[in-house]
Amino acid sequence: MDQKSAGLKITIFFCQRIDADQDAHRRPLEKELGSQIRFFPLPCSGRIEPLHLLRALESGADKVYVVTCAEGACRYREGNIRAKKRLAYAQGLIEEIGLAKDHLELIHVLAGTTTTIAQLAEELLAREAFVGPLPVDVPGQERQQRQL
Amino acid sequence: MITAERKPLSEFKEMIAPYRKVLVVGCGSCVAECAAGGEKEVGLLASALRMDARTEGRDLEIKEMTLDRQCVYEFIDQLTEFIDQYDVVLSLGCGAGVQAVAEVFPRAIIVPALNTTFVGETKEAGLWVENCRGCGDCKLGFFAAVCPITGCAKGLFNGPCGGSQDGKCEVDSDTPCAWQLIITRLEESGRMNLLDKVYPPADWSKQQGRGPRKIVREDQKI
Repeated sequence: MDQKSAGLKITIFFCQRIDADQDAHRRPLEKELGSQIRFFPLPCSGRIEPLHLLRALESGADKVYVVTCAEGACRYREGNIRAKKRLAYAQGLIEEIGLAKDHLELIHVLAGTTTTIAQLAEELLAREAFVGPLPVDVPGQERQQRQL
Repeated sequence: MITAERKPLSEFKEMIAPYRKVLVVGCGSCVAECAAGGEKEVGLLASALRMDARTEGRDLEIKEMTLDRQCVYEFIDQLTEFIDQYDVVLSLGCGAGVQAVAEVFPRAIIVPALNTTFVGETKEAGLWVENCRGCGDCKLGFFAAVCPITGCAKGLFNGPCGGSQDGKCEVDSDTPCAWQLIITRLEESGRMNLLDKVYPPADWSKQQGRGPRKIVREDQKI
């Protein structure tokens, strides 16, 4: 079953330089899927902090992606490398509390591609749901609605 | 700066497990600089603990606070209005901070979340290096501001040992030889005469063997 059909809640932090018109491109998907998908454009993926990733999970996301430009293609030289290291740190922390590190994942956009953020999100939603819903009850959300 | 590292979560989780209301207290000074116990780390740890509790179906209430300094009464006093409302304090301060909070609130249960490690400097983003042992008998003035106790693996006052290679310590090839640094700097500043003298062993009684050390300054007292 793909992640969209499984009803997994997806949060995508992304470098807004990968899609110059990201604001317009992501709106239709946000309207269609409502709270199942949340986008957080970043000026550079190097802006991401482990705290953002944990707060996303804590707020109900089952899967959090950090989408960066291709390695070696960061406008600020090292932003995507920093994002990779910070995501690894956050993965270590969630493993300490017994959660699978795959709830957090880094995606490098391939160099030279002109994919919009919406197309990329659709591709991610179509992926096999390898991780289930996060086994974390979120206050105000019914557990049953969040199960596969 | 005092440096510290977070303990494995399992270590202090066990200690706070009997309690439902946890006050997570960080420190905005040294341990914030070394990314172990500042506001960000408090948020990160609190978030992980909340998720952990929810995963296990436990009820856990957390309040996050970061004091400017956890080792000074005037800042610790900010906890006065909250501390009685919580079952346990999880401190992200250094050992001095943890003990200072416990002394101000002797009935409170204080659990340390950090391992205090050394006095050091920020070499670069993400790298902290020990450079002072707090020996109480500083000799940096003789050694071109390179501490032979901390920087030399053998702690030699009358070096070099002769074992360094390419300016690196024979004990650890990633560490610069302290005596290479001392001699280079003394040569460059024309002060090699400082090494004509034989330096006696350090007076370790200034560091240890008398219980906790104290500094008393009457002019600073109110």
